[in-house]
Amino acid sequence: MNPLIEVIDLTYSYQAGSDDEFRALKGVFLQVWPGEMLAITGQNGSGKSTLARHFNGLLTPQSGSVLVEGLSIADKKNTAAIRKLVGMVFQNPDNQLVSSIVEEDIAFGPENLGLPPAEIRKRVDWALDTLNLQHLRKVSPSGLSEGQKQLVAIAGVLAMKPKCIILDEPTAHLDPRGKREVLENIMRLNREEGITIILLTHFMNEVVHCDQMVVMEQGEIKLRGTPYAVFRQKEIILELGLDLPIAAQLATGLRQKGFKIPEDIIHTEELVDCLCQLK
Amino acid sequence: MFIGTEKLTYTYMSGTPFAATALNEVSFSLGKGEITLIIGPSGSGKSTLIQHLNGLLKPSSGRVYFKGQAIGSDKGELLRLRRRIGLVFQIPEEHFFSETIYDEIAFAPRNLGLAESEVRIRVKDALEKVGLRAEQLQYRHPFQLSAGQKRLVAVASVLSMNPEVLILDEPTAGLDPSHRRNLFALLDNLNRSGGLTVIISTHHLDDVVALAHSVFVLQGGRMVLAGPPSEIFTTREKLYDLGLSLPSVTEIMHSVKEKGLPVKTNIYTLAGARQEINRLKGRPGR
Repeated sequence: MNPLIEVIDLTYSYQAGSDDEFRALKGVFLQVWPGEMLAITGQNGSGKSTLARHFNGLLTPQSGSVLVEGLSIADKKNTAAIRKLVGMVFQNPDNQLVSSIVEEDIAFGPENLGLPPAEIRKRVDWALDTLNLQHLRKVSPSGLSEGQKQLVAIAGVLAMKPKCIILDEPTAHLDPRGKREVLENIMRLNREEGITIILLTHFMNEVVHCDQMVVMEQGEIKLRGTPYAVFRQKEIILELGLDLPIAAQLATGLRQKGFKIPEDIIHTEELVDCLCQLK
Repeated sequence: MFIGTEKLTYTYMSGTPFAATALNEVSFSLGKGEITLIIGPSGSGKSTLIQHLNGLLKPSSGRVYFKGQAIGSDKGELLRLRRRIGLVFQIPEEHFFSETIYDEIAFAPRNLGLAESEVRIRVKDALEKVGLRAEQLQYRHPFQLSAGQKRLVAVASVLSMNPEVLILDEPTAGLDPSHRRNLFALLDNLNRSGGLTVIISTHHLDDVVALAHSVFVLQGGRMVLAGPPSEIFTTREKLYDLGLSLPSVTEIMHSVKEKGLPVKTNIYTLAGARQEINRLKGRPGR
């Protein structure tokens, strides 16, 4: 199997060459595999967004390379093909919705691909069905909740039929219900539609639902592995400015009190089960 | 009553076909030195309520009280209120307008008419309170800071007025875990050492619930629940119906209880959960 996205020794600086040069990426290597759900986390300013903006050509490498299905993003001829493969969803849905009717908004992307009208309709239907938004197709996005707006933004990207969707802190501004709905739908797109998901997030309770995670610090990738493997490295996680998931924090605290709680507890359900089995 | 409202009602675009009631007879009362959380789904009226508390919005009916006095509507009185009650907006760094961090933080004390020598002291104090080094940072442009530092500067720019109440609207949106920890440690410290009264609207209970003395729940412009966190989070179904969630620790305790272990569910801190498990399953290893 070939990686869907391959990052090779990527560097990127803002204000390169000036006194204020900020080295956002310092030689990053990363492979994103087809079908995986990958979390990218790390402190504010660690380089997450700068890295992700290279995956669909919003930024081009200053040195090193990024290949999407083998196509180099440095080559402008590939930009259109890469944008079809890799879609992007941002923090604030209000900045992403362009139309006054939900279904028109979702059709915007496929229209720009120059597809025939019948195919556009098919894709809009499919995106609405997949995200359970059919009942909202004729309404104005302005009347929707923030969570629903974010789902419409995701539907707009989905209608491009990408192989990969990058979401940059998609739940940062959402209320609890909105967060839950967006996360559940992202997980379903990954598991049922096979879409590769790259989720940038500061919430460890979202990270635990991913297959793999990457922790960045100061423009470098410091940790990569399954959430179980990464959260085992408790001290490093804290040094990198992150937290353990709450279930893992409580499990650790109980272990220190002498309770026999197994390692590798990151999900609430796992902790609940073993608390109920305590002798 | 230190700060509170009585039957506060606010209607946006009152008298037009677009009139919408954002707050509906909201009454509450807070004591000095309390930390209060306001939770509720998007559009429930949290921000509208907050903006009344420092006089940015005028009630359509009902009143706002501060130190036992009803707040009138004349300009001078509202201005004085804004000096006592500081408000940190959502994503406050978007509102930065000064060329240097010094000027950003000096804006409020200068407006108070203080001499520049006094302003200088206020800026230094405010930066120290939020844990930033004045000599390192004060002459830099605000946009040269990291996201976490910008948020702290925004808090400092309000603290420089020496407010008696600090209100923060979604203060951790977009911040990473360590910056969230720092910000709440700072608020805890200001509250404990200086008796600062703090009101926080948030969607992220886990970070902050351990500090809270009381929690208000808004929905559709009404105050639907109010009380200490140990009471509020026992009503799980009600909060779910409102589209809200419990603190993760409380969620764990509810799930454990459902599976048959008779734990208390009014627990919302890690320490509380450890004690409760210990109470039921204690003396491990013997």
